[in-house]
Amino acid sequence: VTLKSRRRYRLPRPAPSIAVSAPGAQTIREERLAHLGKRRRAAQRSDVNPLREGLRLERVPDPHVMVLFGATGDLSHRKVFPALAQLWRTNLLPADWACLAVGRRPYDDETFREDVAASLHANCRIQLEPEMEKQFLERIAYHRGDFGDDATFDTLSEKLESMHVEHETASNLLFYLATQPSAFPQIVAQIGRCGLDHEVHGGGWRRIIIEKPFGRDLDSARKLNREVSRVFRETQVYRIDHYLGKETVRNLMVFRFGNGIFEPLWNRRYVDHIQITVAESIGVADRGSFYEETGAARDVLQNHLLQLLTLVAMEPPATFEADALRDEKLKVLRAIAPPTRHEMVKDVVRGQYDKGWVAGLPVKGYRQEKEVDPDSETETFIAARFEVEDWRWSGVPFYLRTGKRLAKRATEIAIQFRDVPHRLFAEAATDPQPNLLAIRVQPDEGILLRFGSKVPGLGLEIRPVTMDFTYGAAFSADTPDAYETLMLDSMLGDQSLFTRADEVEAAWSIVTPMHEAWLDMPPPEFPNYAAGTWGPEAADTLLERDGRRWRRL
Amino acid sequence: VSIEGGAAGGATGIGGPPGAGPNGPVAPIRVAPGQPMLRWSSRARTLDGVAKELGRIWSSISLTTPGADGAPERRVAARSSVMNLVVIAGRGEVGERAAAIVDGLTGRHPSRTLIVTPADPDGPPWLDAQVQAHCMLPSDSAPETCSELVYMTCGGESGQHLVGIVAPLLIHDLPVTLWWPGEPRFESRTSRDLLDLADRVLVDGSGWSGDGLERLGALAALPNEFKVEVGDFALLRQARWREAIASTFDRPSLMPFVGHIERVEVRYAAADGAPGAANIVRPIYHVAWLACRLGMSVSEPIHALPGSWSGYEGLLRSRGRRIPVTLRPMESTSPRGTTLAVELYARRGRSELVIEVTAYADGVVVHASLDDTSLPQRRFLAPRKREADLLAETIDAAGRDALSAEILAMAAMLVAGA
Repeated sequence: VTLKSRRRYRLPRPAPSIAVSAPGAQTIREERLAHLGKRRRAAQRSDVNPLREGLRLERVPDPHVMVLFGATGDLSHRKVFPALAQLWRTNLLPADWACLAVGRRPYDDETFREDVAASLHANCRIQLEPEMEKQFLERIAYHRGDFGDDATFDTLSEKLESMHVEHETASNLLFYLATQPSAFPQIVAQIGRCGLDHEVHGGGWRRIIIEKPFGRDLDSARKLNREVSRVFRETQVYRIDHYLGKETVRNLMVFRFGNGIFEPLWNRRYVDHIQITVAESIGVADRGSFYEETGAARDVLQNHLLQLLTLVAMEPPATFEADALRDEKLKVLRAIAPPTRHEMVKDVVRGQYDKGWVAGLPVKGYRQEKEVDPDSETETFIAARFEVEDWRWSGVPFYLRTGKRLAKRATEIAIQFRDVPHRLFAEAATDPQPNLLAIRVQPDEGILLRFGSKVPGLGLEIRPVTMDFTYGAAFSADTPDAYETLMLDSMLGDQSLFTRADEVEAAWSIVTPMHEAWLDMPPPEFPNYAAGTWGPEAADTLLERDGRRWRRL
Repeated sequence: VSIEGGAAGGATGIGGPPGAGPNGPVAPIRVAPGQPMLRWSSRARTLDGVAKELGRIWSSISLTTPGADGAPERRVAARSSVMNLVVIAGRGEVGERAAAIVDGLTGRHPSRTLIVTPADPDGPPWLDAQVQAHCMLPSDSAPETCSELVYMTCGGESGQHLVGIVAPLLIHDLPVTLWWPGEPRFESRTSRDLLDLADRVLVDGSGWSGDGLERLGALAALPNEFKVEVGDFALLRQARWREAIASTFDRPSLMPFVGHIERVEVRYAAADGAPGAANIVRPIYHVAWLACRLGMSVSEPIHALPGSWSGYEGLLRSRGRRIPVTLRPMESTSPRGTTLAVELYARRGRSELVIEVTAYADGVVVHASLDDTSLPQRRFLAPRKREADLLAETIDAAGRDALSAEILAMAAMLVAGA
């Protein structure tokens, strides 16, 4: 019997008997009597600590040991340790905290600490006082081993046991996978084999942070999620997309839902279209082999760009809680139809950079970069037109673009409003330009609103002017790095800024059909844009066709 | 006050004799992103003069820095005020200290700061104002961000009518924060006029003379009387204590005890055991926080016990239970009134929980024992915060701080009649 037929012939479920009530249920009279204290009422158990109310900003994570896999790698030294050091500097790490760094290279505790110290000096936003740095480094231990070797994890377990006792960390464990993605399944499986994932009642919590990429297509993402979910529950998994930890991105939610004047305009009635740009001026540097397998769609579109899109397009969540937020983001992703083969040709543009000039210096083409195939078909640029088919956005195009070796580094979300419906100032030489709201994510984080204004004088000329809010001018100092925010949140158990498994899969279900369609197409005519420009001409045509153009950044 | 820069005779700080220091733009000696520098300094003797000087700043300041190719590059200065900060400094040195702290906020919270010091109350009315602009380069490529600082000494009767001096100089539409270091006199007419202007009042209750209770009662009455938000640095400094106590009840096994606290004791530092010899605002805040979060009411306000080193006691009530509260002075070299320990005793059924949170050099440590079995202790780092940090932190939390308001209201009930 197939599943389908079984479902079809399933017997109707018997109606619940009225006489049987759920255990603990009360009649309305019983409830009233209990309320008046006339009958003994079962003791109320609440999971909410009343002393916690109002303490959010002061909260320090529980004591724990952080187990950092890939501790000798670039990411750990450039981002993870400096972020941890900043948290330590600001007393946001618990006093009873320790880090067990796991890597393949032959270090001992002392030599590894020296390496970490050098990274802190090179990469820390604000340097630590020497005494504070010493205390921080003392909490880091090194464990050498191969991830495929059972012995590595057996000895790791033993070491963790002694660290819990030494640092009084109440058996709380935070795993951080800062390794090559290929090692993720192996490490997760080993953690499961050793039982390090088990959360014991009244004992410690266990969480795992996973760095992107979360797979390279829908199938591999599903496989990875399956492998992780064999060991960890979804509530234990923190998938980092560091864009979500950036101040400006977090501010996007405050901007939308903390201000009353924008939300009424945030829909198809007033918005003409939306542009989201993540432009980089750098090339692939020494990550050629990685980039050859990745490309712009996998590297940026699937995660950063689509995450930004969801934040712009989502409905207001009912609460500011992790799942409420992520449910709304997921709805947006599901409302985007993956491009059909026909739309692939029409609405998606890919490009690869040729040699050119960036910031006044000559740079190589992509195919001439180190570890890159001279006939490479990997895209270093992608622009695409999406539609979010829901009540709010139907008919409003979202233009997304990202690329390497573009004219400058800039990430921006631009909400282009519709034209005024009636040309009232007919005698003016120029029509008023439609209003624009631009949210600059980097650099010069800020928000810009463009509107028309009369040029002083006897005539009636209209010129666009801008109100420009720059973060740097209003709150210049001490903006935490995205990694600081995200790491603290994971230690506090707040998953709001982390991507859920179903979100990852929904994003891949948009991007994977593109890759599949490219396989059937003739080889692209790469390179098709010069380094230092804004991408291939076809990207401009994509908007010109709709009577629009990319914003000049 | 240490000030960068120094044209024409050097910047001598603020509040110096008339005629000293530069008069107009100050060329910075060193330009580095993130470092505040004095960019303007001039004097005025009238309010109109102050307004004129403030206007001159924005038409005159331009900064030339070495550009990428070594050629000079002009940076525009931007005034980006987020608030008016009015500092009422009872004495000149308090004003100077406040000015140094505000200087450090230039980048974080650009504002117009008016520091007002009354002087020579019996002489003829006079005003001596020093007008300054403190600027900062947020980054290598950004324009300068500047804050204005006006340091005014008001002699004679002017000192009795501060609102007439302050009000015309406020930037309209921006919130007014009134920072009152030292010993505020909330009941005076001058104070009441100023409170009418303010959106927010900042004080440091731990520095008040005596036991501080009378002033605490007056402070707690301000939100209702003047519709102002009240911030007390003493309360902010206790953040880690609150975190430490709250965290103990995060343990699932201890959580059920949170509604069964039967006794609270706070021990504080004192040099002399007599009642009124040490400021007990901080111990009161600890009790007030616990009481308001746990839904307790005040049965008997805090009152001094007879005899030296006896301290104070009071009575809380929760769900028909009486909860005695004791504030006990301990001989200590710490500043008077500093919290040394908070002890809670809770009983549920036959189980007893004792929590003792004590201060140590860099923070607080929590010892808890359940039925005489010690639980693992936990330490919380809490280095003492400087006034500058507290001011910045208070300004950061610009919105209504419901927790502080509740603690303050409960503190007022605890000290009613004290």
